Amino acid sequence: MNTDRTKQFIGFLVIPSFVLLAAVVFYPFLYNVALAFGNMNLNKIRDWQFIGFRQFIKIFTEPSQPDFYAVFGKTIIWTVVNVAFHVILGVFLALLLNQKIKGKAIYRTLLILPWAIPQYIVALTWRGMFNYEYGSINLILTKFLGMPAVEWLRSPTEAFIACIITNVWLGFPFMMVVALGALQSIPHELYEAAEIDGASWWHKLRTITLPLIRPVMIPAITLGIVWTFNNLNIVWLVSNGGEPSDRTHILVSFVYKAAFNFYSFSYAAALSLVIFLLLLTFSMVFMKQSKATEGAY
Amino acid sequence: MATQTKRMRFFQLAATHLVLAFFALVAIFPIWQVFNISLRPGDQLLSTSLELVPRNATFENYIRLFTERDFLVWLRNSAAVTVSVTITGVIFASLTGYGFSRFRFVGKKAGLLSLLTTQMFPGTMLLLPMYIMLINLGLIDSYLGIVIVYSATALPFCIWTMKGYYDTIPTSLEEAARIDGCSHFTAFMKVILPLAAPALVITALFSFMSAWSEYIVAAQILQDTDLWTLPIGLKSFEASMSTEWGLYGAASIVVMIPVVGLFLGLSRWLVSGLTLGSVKG
Amino acid sequence: MNRIIYLHIKELWLHTESRFKLVAVVVLLGWSVLVLAMVGCGRKPDDPRRIVIWHQMRPDEQVILHRQLAGYMAAHPGIKIEELFKETEMLRSAYVVGALAGQGPDLVYGPSDPVGVYEATKSIRPLEDLFSQEYLSAFDSTALLRYRGHLYQIADKIGNHLALVYNKKYIQKPPTTDKELINLSKAIQAKYGYVAGRPNVYGITWNYTEPFFFIPFYTGFGGWVFGEDGVTPTLDNKSMVDALNFIRQLRDDDKIVPNEADYEIADALFKDGKAAMLINGDWSWAGYAQKGIDIGVAPLPRISATGLWCAPMTSPKGYSMNVNVDKEKIPLLLDLLKYLLSEECELETAKALNTAPTRRSLYRHPEILSNEILQNSLIQITHGKPMPVVPQMRAVWDAMRPSYQAVMGGARTPEQAARDMQAQALRKIKEMNE
Repeated sequence: MNTDRTKQFIGFLVIPSFVLLAAVVFYPFLYNVALAFGNMNLNKIRDWQFIGFRQFIKIFTEPSQPDFYAVFGKTIIWTVVNVAFHVILGVFLALLLNQKIKGKAIYRTLLILPWAIPQYIVALTWRGMFNYEYGSINLILTKFLGMPAVEWLRSPTEAFIACIITNVWLGFPFMMVVALGALQSIPHELYEAAEIDGASWWHKLRTITLPLIRPVMIPAITLGIVWTFNNLNIVWLVSNGGEPSDRTHILVSFVYKAAFNFYSFSYAAALSLVIFLLLLTFSMVFMKQSKATEGAY
Repeated sequence: MATQTKRMRFFQLAATHLVLAFFALVAIFPIWQVFNISLRPGDQLLSTSLELVPRNATFENYIRLFTERDFLVWLRNSAAVTVSVTITGVIFASLTGYGFSRFRFVGKKAGLLSLLTTQMFPGTMLLLPMYIMLINLGLIDSYLGIVIVYSATALPFCIWTMKGYYDTIPTSLEEAARIDGCSHFTAFMKVILPLAAPALVITALFSFMSAWSEYIVAAQILQDTDLWTLPIGLKSFEASMSTEWGLYGAASIVVMIPVVGLFLGLSRWLVSGLTLGSVKG
Repeated sequence: MNRIIYLHIKELWLHTESRFKLVAVVVLLGWSVLVLAMVGCGRKPDDPRRIVIWHQMRPDEQVILHRQLAGYMAAHPGIKIEELFKETEMLRSAYVVGALAGQGPDLVYGPSDPVGVYEATKSIRPLEDLFSQEYLSAFDSTALLRYRGHLYQIADKIGNHLALVYNKKYIQKPPTTDKELINLSKAIQAKYGYVAGRPNVYGITWNYTEPFFFIPFYTGFGGWVFGEDGVTPTLDNKSMVDALNFIRQLRDDDKIVPNEADYEIADALFKDGKAAMLINGDWSWAGYAQKGIDIGVAPLPRISATGLWCAPMTSPKGYSMNVNVDKEKIPLLLDLLKYLLSEECELETAKALNTAPTRRSLYRHPEILSNEILQNSLIQITHGKPMPVVPQMRAVWDAMRPSYQAVMGGARTPEQAARDMQAQALRKIKEMNE
């Protein structure tokens, strides 16, 4: 099909990137797959052997602290709540910004800011803001809203909510920008035609806007889900490694703890592989169901 | 009737502004907090006031940052690493994205999917084998090692972005160039690349971000203090039990400035470039 | 591959407009220069006169180490010493991973507790064959950390222990029993009044998130983390329940401690004069004095019910040597170590930081004897118990932390917490050994 020259050209385009990725991503990935079937831990860090599926059996059948299924459930909540807020807030703000209003550029730039701040700074700043005595969140609650102060970082539910609030703040600009791009590509004539028909705002939103931004939002949402699911920084830094009582973990922070605090490398690798397969399956099903990628291949 | 709609318009507009202003406030509040901390004198970092600028505000922390610490060295190192990563990322992603967008070849679908799946494995677990590999290649404590790692981190997303954007550019453009006698490459360089500028901006921005604000890999690979990048330097203010919050706040603000500047300067491009490729033009 | 690149560069050259030629050349040249510069930037790892030390010292300790190393380098031209701070957790994992891959620093400095992990991962080298018996005999025995039959660490400081820090503005004579502590706190709180139910000055505060700060209460009620064999955790017993009940009563019944406090909050309360007493370690004392607070340090009180002193954990802080160090380099490292562990260096450190030195001759030194804080600290050390070095300790900490936090958060009763701690510790140890 392709001439030799074209083949060379394709090679020139594609090979360099994949050489790079092979070194930095694919090789370490395969190494982890091997580790997952081994018994590398503190005492066998230099002389580990293959032991088959035992690590996987351990993950699913043996009790762990914190409990795997509880952490898994929390990860689902974490992902769903975060991405839902990202998308709803993002699309909502994009709709507002997509009108003819004064100061639109200023609003847009300010609203993008959370995306621009390095995550480790975001996490530590918010951790400070959630401080019971000195944090500004409690100061606002008590001084301006007359509400009781919340012990954000001491009880598991509140600490988890604190992590979610931080991550929602961090993540909505991305969805907003994606939605804004999609909104701008919708031809104006469609709305004009609908207005002649006397369609309400709600009707236009449902029949024109949402269906037309859907093909852009679906891949963004998939990516958002994968990124959120695997976002170690926020949970780890805001909750200070799972505090209180290791009850704010999501799966990736659990993996991190197992590997780098306990040196149970094989267990962590097996758990990572489980996460990978979960996300892979999910993305396949989700993308197939929404058929958004059809054109992308 | 007319006045009523006018009134409606007015309220609608006011509400829009109110909501946008509220969210803008939420967006900048934590940044203001960091700024506030950086201006506080001495060790009065925990304060129960919510003043816009703290009492006895001082730039002492900024001065200490530049005079007492190797902040300028970190800044220079970070700049060098980030610029290299950004250029590498743009070159690789623009080429590979084009390949995926315009040609059919064996393994294309698998290649594209494998790019997506790289995002699904917890990144921290890649650290151990990567570290051992870099040691074997003699790339520990070298910028080359870290540039390779960072370039690859943002690459999958960037390739997808580029591919998606190229997809929106009609192929008839290159065909015309080809008929004029251009080679594949020339047609790409002359016709397509200039048109793909918004996506190039996104690619550059993502590569920039992945290098500018990364800590974990840098801490593992760059051990020589002369090679430190900003995030490692920043983390060093956070000693075991006594964080130097003032310096930390000041450094955070300085670290934020270039990124925020970039985002502000590029925000218009951002919107048009990040289509993730599914809207056919 | 090369041919492909060549062909396309040629093609590019022949066919593109000059504007694009220019841009492409500039970008590619700039890029190559940067990449080449970076190849040059990498260090030469086998430079035999370059010594790398990793540590987790606080800023004030770092200043002194820095000064001492600068002095050493000035006296030994050609030797370059690099010291690198890493946060405790990061230091441990980065060191283990580095040593595992045949790399890592030459020397690693820190408290003794990671030594068990370093030994298990074969990351550090025994030191007994490098020093003469005579040289070692000049040190206090606690400074020479032996584990599984080998000497693995030599300390320049002993302690890293908690004690009672008090603000002399509020307290003239520190309490010596728990009863005195409670009464004194109540008196201070009453004296300075309350706002919205919260005292203006709390009696005492400490970190509620790290079980390290709970250990003195546990030992005060007669408990200890391991049984006779030194590796089996002993957390589910009456001492534990009593100790947990005791701190809960301090908060809920006596109301002399804040409702919530982590390290930062406790520290800030004390610094701001909002707490009269604080339980904190020797690392923090010099800082309070520098802040202009007139502090006193006293041994933690006795628990009346048992008659036992609250005993904090003590641990030596010192140097260990990487297992990957070349034979040729060892003499160089020994010379540096002997300098850092010399009387002059230890005295300088002790004076500046109020930490206990390890050379026995220094205990009789006039400048040490005249230092009130240091003398009280030494008394506290004699009450203290050495922190276990075994890797199992890590499991115990991780087992205690959630329950300790849950008790202070009101989510678990002391009885439940004690049971959970023990069960978790056993499970984690089993997991580690699997």
